[in-house]
Amino acid sequence: MLKYVGKRIMYMILVFLIMSVVLFFLYNLIPGDPARAELEPLRNKLTAEEYQYRYEQARQRLGLDDPLPVRYAKWMSGVLRGDFGMSSVYKLPVNQVIINPMKVTVFINIFSIIITLAITIPLGIFTAVKKNSVFDKSVQVLTIVGYSIPVFIIALLFIYLFAVRLGWFPVSGLNTPNFSGTPWEEFKDMMYHLALPLGVLVVGSLGGLTRYVRAAMIDALSMDYIRTARAKGLKERVVIFSHAWRNALLPVITLIISWLMSVFAGSLVVERMFNLKGMGDFYISALTNQDYNVALAIQLFYIILALLGNLLSDLSYGIVDPRVRVNK
Amino acid sequence: MQIDNNPKKKRFSLLRRLFGGKNELSIYEEELVQSPFRTIISNFKDNKVAMTGFIGFMIILAIVLIGPLFIPIDLSFSEVTQINVAPGLDMMKVPKELQGNIKQISIGPTFSVGISNDGEVFIWGKTRVSSALDVANIPNDMGKVVQVAAGYDHIMFLNEDGKLFFSGNNRQMQSTPPYEVQNLKNIKQIEAGYQSSIVLSDDGYVYYFGNSMNNDYNEFHDYQGQIEKIVTTADGVLGLTKSGEVVYLGNQQNAYTRIPENMGKIVDVGTTANTVAAVNEDGKVFVWGNISTRGEGNPPELVDDKIVAIQGGRFHYTALTENGKIVSWGANNYNQSDVPSGLSDVTVVSYFTDYYQNYAIDENGNLHTWGLKGYLLGTDELGRDILSRLINGGRMSVFIGAVAVVISTFIGIIVGSVSGFVGGRVDIVLQRISEMVSSLPFLPFAMILSSLIGNSLTSNQRVFLIMVILGLLSWPGLQRLVRAQILSIREQEYVTAARSVGIKQVSIIFKHILPNVVSVIIVSATLSFATSMLTEATLSYLGFGVQPPQPTWGNMLYGANNSIVIQNYWWRWVFASIILGVCVICINLIGDGLRDAIDPKSQER
Repeated sequence: MLKYVGKRIMYMILVFLIMSVVLFFLYNLIPGDPARAELEPLRNKLTAEEYQYRYEQARQRLGLDDPLPVRYAKWMSGVLRGDFGMSSVYKLPVNQVIINPMKVTVFINIFSIIITLAITIPLGIFTAVKKNSVFDKSVQVLTIVGYSIPVFIIALLFIYLFAVRLGWFPVSGLNTPNFSGTPWEEFKDMMYHLALPLGVLVVGSLGGLTRYVRAAMIDALSMDYIRTARAKGLKERVVIFSHAWRNALLPVITLIISWLMSVFAGSLVVERMFNLKGMGDFYISALTNQDYNVALAIQLFYIILALLGNLLSDLSYGIVDPRVRVNK
Repeated sequence: MQIDNNPKKKRFSLLRRLFGGKNELSIYEEELVQSPFRTIISNFKDNKVAMTGFIGFMIILAIVLIGPLFIPIDLSFSEVTQINVAPGLDMMKVPKELQGNIKQISIGPTFSVGISNDGEVFIWGKTRVSSALDVANIPNDMGKVVQVAAGYDHIMFLNEDGKLFFSGNNRQMQSTPPYEVQNLKNIKQIEAGYQSSIVLSDDGYVYYFGNSMNNDYNEFHDYQGQIEKIVTTADGVLGLTKSGEVVYLGNQQNAYTRIPENMGKIVDVGTTANTVAAVNEDGKVFVWGNISTRGEGNPPELVDDKIVAIQGGRFHYTALTENGKIVSWGANNYNQSDVPSGLSDVTVVSYFTDYYQNYAIDENGNLHTWGLKGYLLGTDELGRDILSRLINGGRMSVFIGAVAVVISTFIGIIVGSVSGFVGGRVDIVLQRISEMVSSLPFLPFAMILSSLIGNSLTSNQRVFLIMVILGLLSWPGLQRLVRAQILSIREQEYVTAARSVGIKQVSIIFKHILPNVVSVIIVSATLSFATSMLTEATLSYLGFGVQPPQPTWGNMLYGANNSIVIQNYWWRWVFASIILGVCVICINLIGDGLRDAIDPKSQER
């Protein structure tokens, strides 16, 4: 087992390095000269010779004249030490800039994941047990609609219904400006602001997950051992939850973990729409403002997240299902 | 079973061979087995939900493929007077009470106002000029109205006592007459221009109020006391003097001041947004100003008739001849210069033209209208028709989705089959690459690619870039499916049997293995078509996909991201959302139906 984990982690590091190379070279495709950009404000204050001298110095300091592999090695060693360079918009080190958005994103996503799972798993199990009932059929139709409609359209609908028409929730922001109160009140205020974005995230991921849980559960319910369990006279509840559900869990876990990773990317749209200062919103602003150091850092974060997700889903096989021995 | 011995049909058996078809049976034979492909089709046909999806998608596909032929799109089009117009075709719907009793009609950008012979006011069309203003909110106690003038976003009313009333916008004080105008008793003509109001008195004096930044008007011009008629372009004021001369009443020297010489005595003058036209006693038309390529400057030559009156729309002119016929020239994008054929055998007694609408009344009192009726689905923030953008944008969306699927399917099949057939090291390397691609966070990665590479591309190249990005990032799923299928089929007895009788490897692959994989590929391609369209829409919506003015369903929603648009201009996001949603739902239904049809096991679910 340990050997397997070690192997997987080595492989992850390899993939990460390859991806970082790809990103770095893409990054270097961008036309532009950071040294010149840095000196631009001083341009009129300096004489031509002085400017040229400072420019040469800046190029040397930033290492722009080094061959690409050397520059990559320098950048990578910085990244490994947690130094992603400077944000050209905020004039601050990147890791300082992205720490707050990261908190927001993680907070939103953990909440939406908990809510979504709390809804989809019971719903999936229930529809599988009551297969072909009216309830099941209508849920089936709704879930098809749910996963066919992009998140931003759901968000537009939610804003129109709950913020514009009914006026229940605010349209944007994370909390009331200049709000002060006890931590509990602050939390309540934040949840009030987050109600719509969380709702959108949950509805957006409900469709696909419910269908998947249902399909896995139906597969499990059609197995022979379920018939045996029933024949033994076990209670239906026991049959469903400990015989069928334990077996349906395996495919579901894999899906859920890969879904967890995509949620972070999906919250990108929602953060943008509701003006939440999270990673996704930050990522889009960084790309549009051509603040590529920030964009690269966030992209690396997404990649690490995805790789961790893959590792987790591989390992979870062994944890959930003792039949699967992960010792290749 | 029909007997079919027609030898010609057998030639078209390529498809049948690919999908495992077999020879037709004669009527005496019993059909024992059905080919898998036929089973799939009949299963699919029996699935009502899937068939609904199929029909729905075919309808949408037909609309977006054929529609652009009828509703072409002008990418550089923008029209400031038609911004955010609500859906509806009521811009020329004259109220019944007014018909046959029309005294005057005045036309604004999206609304028209008419008065009856009894002095009653009627307003129709899209009267909401902004989220808070409605020109239909007219003052109550106007009495008998004798003259109306519709401007860009306000309406002027003149009642029989010579009092002025206004409705609509007053931000530029265009609805607040100065003191001297309020006391005028001898108003002859009122004229409403672009955020400006002009009053002409019987003794030839001109009073101007409203936006003086955009409109060039000199209060102390040389012709006070001589003016007979006032006309306005989008940014200037001109007058016709009592002696039949056209004069410019502004400060600047511009295209309007280049008045042609030796025009003779002018009897009528009309204006479009940027040009002026004058008619002299002989019926000759002179046009000057900023003449565009739309053809305002090309009045038709009349043989035995002459023009006696002229009025201008936004970019077209409509003129009345001596014999009561109507001629029209200039821009025709809304058919505003297509004079209806019903007018050719009647005599027109009066007519009204402005912006994109024309109203003509014949000798029998019948009303004829032509021009812009309105927009079925409204217009967007640049005044572009949403219907035409939906249709043309749909073609782009579907096209991008389709090409992306073709790319990803192609890569998926090649990689999957090579991986499955060859195995060994090649398999390991390909699988690692595939894992790498599939572990990439799709949306962020597509965005960074699009913004890093797309920086220096033209808009067409960007479209291709989006397709390639979508295609290159979405093949691993299919690859895994194809590989798994091929691995399992490779070991089956019939392949072994085929091998043992010495059939060539290529032949085994294409005749024995691929037909069994085709169904899986089709399902996967259908579902990934839907995903590609969604991803393209999301990318474009965020501004990282296809760039405006080229429309797609995603980027049409780009500007809808604020509560003002969501609330007030609902048509800008509702229709694009609906058609995108319906299209993707239909494709998903087809994909699900196909999967159910192919895999009988899943039908039990």
